[in-house]
Order: sequence, then C-alpha cells, then structure tokens
Amino acid sequence: MTVLILTSEEDVTADMVVVHLHALGVPVVRFDPADLTSGVALSGEYVHGAFRGHLSSAGRLVSLDGVRSVWVRRPGAAAARALTPSAWLTEESEQALYGMLRGVPARWMNHPDAARRARHKPWQLRLAQRSGLPVPATLITTFPQAARDFAARYPDLVVKPVSGAHPQDPPRAVPTSRVDPDSDFTAVAYGPTLLQRRVAKRADIRLTAVGEELLAARMPADPHADPDLVDVRFAPAAGPWQPAEVPPRVADAVRVYLREAQLAYGAFDFAEDADGTWWFLECNQSGQFGFVEVDTGQPISRTIAEWLGRPLADEQPRSVNRAGSALP
Amino acid sequence: MQPFALNYARPAAELEFATPYTYDSGLQLNVLLDGGIAARDHALLRELGTTTSTAGSKTHFDD
Repeated sequence: MTVLILTSEEDVTADMVVVHLHALGVPVVRFDPADLTSGVALSGEYVHGAFRGHLSSAGRLVSLDGVRSVWVRRPGAAAARALTPSAWLTEESEQALYGMLRGVPARWMNHPDAARRARHKPWQLRLAQRSGLPVPATLITTFPQAARDFAARYPDLVVKPVSGAHPQDPPRAVPTSRVDPDSDFTAVAYGPTLLQRRVAKRADIRLTAVGEELLAARMPADPHADPDLVDVRFAPAAGPWQPAEVPPRVADAVRVYLREAQLAYGAFDFAEDADGTWWFLECNQSGQFGFVEVDTGQPISRTIAEWLGRPLADEQPRSVNRAGSALP
Repeated sequence: MQPFALNYARPAAELEFATPYTYDSGLQLNVLLDGGIAARDHALLRELGTTTSTAGSKTHFDD
C-alpha cells in the first residue's frame, strides 16, 4: 500500500517525511498536480459496477486501490505546467484527480473538503471557542463605527488579514500589526477588517498536531523587542524554539477542535500571556513544521510518516469519517 | 479606496535565491551537490529558511 504525496518538488519540508517513509519501507508516490498531462498521468475506469484507477509519475505507476493515505502538502494548481495551460484545463484536471481520489478509501491528511473549511479564520475562532480554547476579543467588520467602538473597548489592539492570503501585484505581506485606537477607521468600509485585542505575550507557542500526537514548541518573547513587532513571523527571532509541555486542558480542547474540524494535521498558533494562558490565534491546516523540528529536534516528520504509513486496516474501526480526514 | 488592513502591508520578502539542492525524481527527494539528502542537513535548512512559516507564502497561505 502506497502513500501518495501531493506537493511541489522544491518542498524540502515534505522531504523530511519522505526520508522517514523510506526508512519505514513504505512505498511512496510523490508528484505535483501542476505537472498533470506533462509528466503526471491519470486514468480511471468505471465499468460493471467497479472502479479501477491509476496514477503515474516519473516511471511509477500506482493503482488507486493501493493508496493507503494521501498527504495534501503544498500542491500546485492542477495542470498549471501543462504544455497549454488554461483555467479550463486546471478545472478539468482538478475534478479528475481529486474526484477520483475522493472515491478511494484512503486516509487523508487533510481531506480537501475539511481543509477548505478549516482555512476560514472566522470559522476557526468560533470552533476554538466551542472547543474550550481562550480566544482574544475579535471583531470582523466592514462597519467603521463598529471598529471605532471596538477600539474604544479594547484600545490595545492589532489588525490582521481575515484570510491569511498575501496580496499580489505587487507582492506584499500583511503582518499582524498594532493599531492606534485613534486611527481613522473609514477604510474599514472598503474591506472586511479583523481587529483583535492584543495579547501581551511572554511567549509564542506553536503546537503541531498529528493525529492524536501533540508536539508543542515555545519561543519566549524578547523583553527588549520593539513592542510594535507583534508578528513572530516577521520579527527578529528571540531565540530558538524549545519543546514545551501542553497543558492538559489545552490538549483536550485541541483534540476536540481537530475532531470537529475533521483534521488529521493542524499547526496551532497561541500567544502565552503573563498568567501562562495560551490564547488561540489560529490553526493552519497545512502549516509548516520543519522550522520547529530543526530547532527543537521534536520528531514531527517521523510522526507524520508513521501516521501516513499506518496500514489502512488499523484505521478503519477508529476513523471518524472515511469521507473526511480520519483521526486515529 | 484601499481596505484598512492594507495600510499595514509591506513589500514581500521573496525567497529568490538558488537552493543548493535539486529534486531527484528517483529518490523523490532534494539532493545536494555532494549527493547528500538536503532534508537531513538541518543546519542548511535553518540557514536557508526554506522550512519556515513564511516559506511558500506567495502560493500558499497556510503558514
């Protein structure tokens, strides 16, 4: 039984997992859907009430009923590198590939439907609340007056993108940024704006969940850092990430979150305040993990490999939903 | 008019450099010039930042 990995060639983070799958003796087929019709091929036959499907890439041929798990890591848009790419060809190719894969009883990390839903930050915030995770006071609005009222109630606040997407043309980044409560909020009317009470953090927490395994890392805040630099991704590193224990209450809530979201993998960001409370910021369903493993030595890639490589038969009695991302 | 959040945008820092490894379709791994496996060289990965939370942000927004 084969592990199917959908990602780009340059994804060296995926390599960290492939190394372990090789060591475990688990067959792997890896390709980027962007190469469909140009190095990657597919075929599926629905005849006499049965389905037979195959994928091929770089000289490897895998039967779809021989796929034990699918890891949707960082795939490109299907057929994006075809000889004559087009939006139509991408749609055709996405439907063919993911449509066939949806029909096989493989485990997903993560299922495309669950992944798509889990990317919505407003949905994340509500699920985190329902799961028992503390969520900083947040407003998403296009009403300037609502923004002014929120800033009056929570004068120490930040703004961040609702989607996490990065604007292009030209390429820009929108870090989480502090907002002066006396700002002119008129432009809130021109796009949904996410304002959030700033957590005065003493550390950033990155919790990587793989199935039931939770691996947390902590980076203490630099007490001398510029207080306006609140986004750890864009601030100078205060030090290496260090392994951290997950408080039992947080662990329970994270597992509820994953179960409700039907996610087999999630990278949670928390801000730890002076009281030691972990405030939920977001959960990236395909978040990076290599930088944490490099710093902490935590066996994240090995844990992912073991999850992907587990025989399918072991999973069925405990799966949440074979159509969705199963949890062990 | 520009949405409020874009008042806080900054130019993206592009990872426009040649990585010292290339993809080997036989191994399904990226390989260094000396034949070593790039993913095993954690010092190199740390130096390049190719596994960080903003790597690939141009095409993927799951940091």
